[in-house]
Amino acid sequence: MKKSSIYLIIAAVVVLCGFYGCNTYNGLVSQDENVSRAWADVEAQYQRRADLIPNLVNTVKGYAAHESETLQAVVEARTKATQVTVDPTNLTPEKLAEYQAAQGEVSQALGRLLAITENYPDLKANQQFSELQAQLEGTENRIAESRRLFNEAAQKYNVSVRSFPANLFANMFGFSTKGNFKAEAGAEKAPEVQF
Amino acid sequence: MKKLCILFLLCAAQLCAVTPLLAATYTPDNLPIPYLQDKTQYVSNPDGILSQETVDSLNLWLGQMETAHGVQTVLAVVERIQGGEAYDFCMELGRKYGIGRKDQNSGLIILLSTGDRVYYILTGRGLEGTLPDAICKRIENNQMLPALREGDWDEAMLATVRAITKYVDGDDSLVGLADFDNEDDTAALIAFILCMLLGLGLIGFGVWYDNYKKSYCPSCKQHKMKKVSGYTTTNRRLGLRSHHDTYKCSHCFFVKELHWDEDLNSGSGSAAAGGALGGSFFGRGGGGSFGGSFGGGSFGGGGAGGRF
Repeated sequence: MKKSSIYLIIAAVVVLCGFYGCNTYNGLVSQDENVSRAWADVEAQYQRRADLIPNLVNTVKGYAAHESETLQAVVEARTKATQVTVDPTNLTPEKLAEYQAAQGEVSQALGRLLAITENYPDLKANQQFSELQAQLEGTENRIAESRRLFNEAAQKYNVSVRSFPANLFANMFGFSTKGNFKAEAGAEKAPEVQF
Repeated sequence: MKKLCILFLLCAAQLCAVTPLLAATYTPDNLPIPYLQDKTQYVSNPDGILSQETVDSLNLWLGQMETAHGVQTVLAVVERIQGGEAYDFCMELGRKYGIGRKDQNSGLIILLSTGDRVYYILTGRGLEGTLPDAICKRIENNQMLPALREGDWDEAMLATVRAITKYVDGDDSLVGLADFDNEDDTAALIAFILCMLLGLGLIGFGVWYDNYKKSYCPSCKQHKMKKVSGYTTTNRRLGLRSHHDTYKCSHCFFVKELHWDEDLNSGSGSAAAGGALGGSFFGRGGGGSFGGSFGGGSFGGGGAGGRF
């Protein structure tokens, strides 16, 4: 075999590898973008909930002023949660767990608030409160749906990043696996009802 | 013992046969969607809970809503849903069929389960601005609930759809059916005309090439031969028509006899194939105007529901 033909074969292999690498890289970029978009939606839905809370608290205050402790807890949890933000380029499992814990506290505080409203028939009959509650429920549904879509996108991305041989390129270009939402701690536990 | 077993099996078979008739529990997978067979039917009323007049009215209004604003609705009234969770049922249904047009995500699902005593109005992503959760709740509180409490299912659905129509009519940002379908139709028409032209061109070329070949003079190698006389004989038993043509060259006056057989069966066969092709093409277009299809709209979890 001539030396030149060996060089030719080596060059062809290098070019092919280059093509494959570009292809893999572009695929990872587009999946990374998908995850970022899904994350933006998750944050938007949580923000939507945070925006509803002041209105809800004020409405409840008008009917149940002496439940100030519960009301205060909601406001505090909300303030704390809005301070925890996650950079979409740094969606590590730890960061995500922190975010989820902060938002989970808001959910729990809200749950307690809605539970005590059961004791106020006037409040429950209030049209504004009923609509606010519907908005809140709709937002919780949206949060759940956006989290589901985020988990799907993250899972798809993680599979791509970790499978061979794409993982070689992924390491080279700094694509790391992303965290996803775990089932809410205590979600499997039925809420406590007190009479 | 054996007799007992047989008796038991018979009873079980009986139960299996009767149970669906008594009270079917619907899942998003087995809920009948009449819209898919007939695109004027938006209401799924498998248990016959709504009266026929109500169904007709609802179909009419929902049809107008789709024509004018592109809002694609599925309204289901059933006895029982599996799990009894209206929201989950609606989301699963929306995900399964992709109800609503993809470009404006204007799907709408209205569900009432009279046995579970739950209801839900689920709005597609693009409808969340037109029908915010609070408005859905208001419609339910003011229009649907009073009738539901009296067990007047017809009025509950009529009042709900009437109210929804009002909100949808007030939103000019929703684009009607006419603007979507025109584009589709034009594209289909252009494609059809192009196909026809291509087909005609091919046939024309075939005829021309056939004549060109026949006009070739073997003596002076020029295409100057013309048919001067000819006769045909037909053999019905073999299904053959024999052509005996005489060609004369206008250049060197060379004369050639051309003899070729035409297979009568294959001729009619190809015509039949053409007919079948045309038929299937038109059949496809015709089918579209009968059965509806969903556009692939997505639901983000908007809407409101409740229990009564």
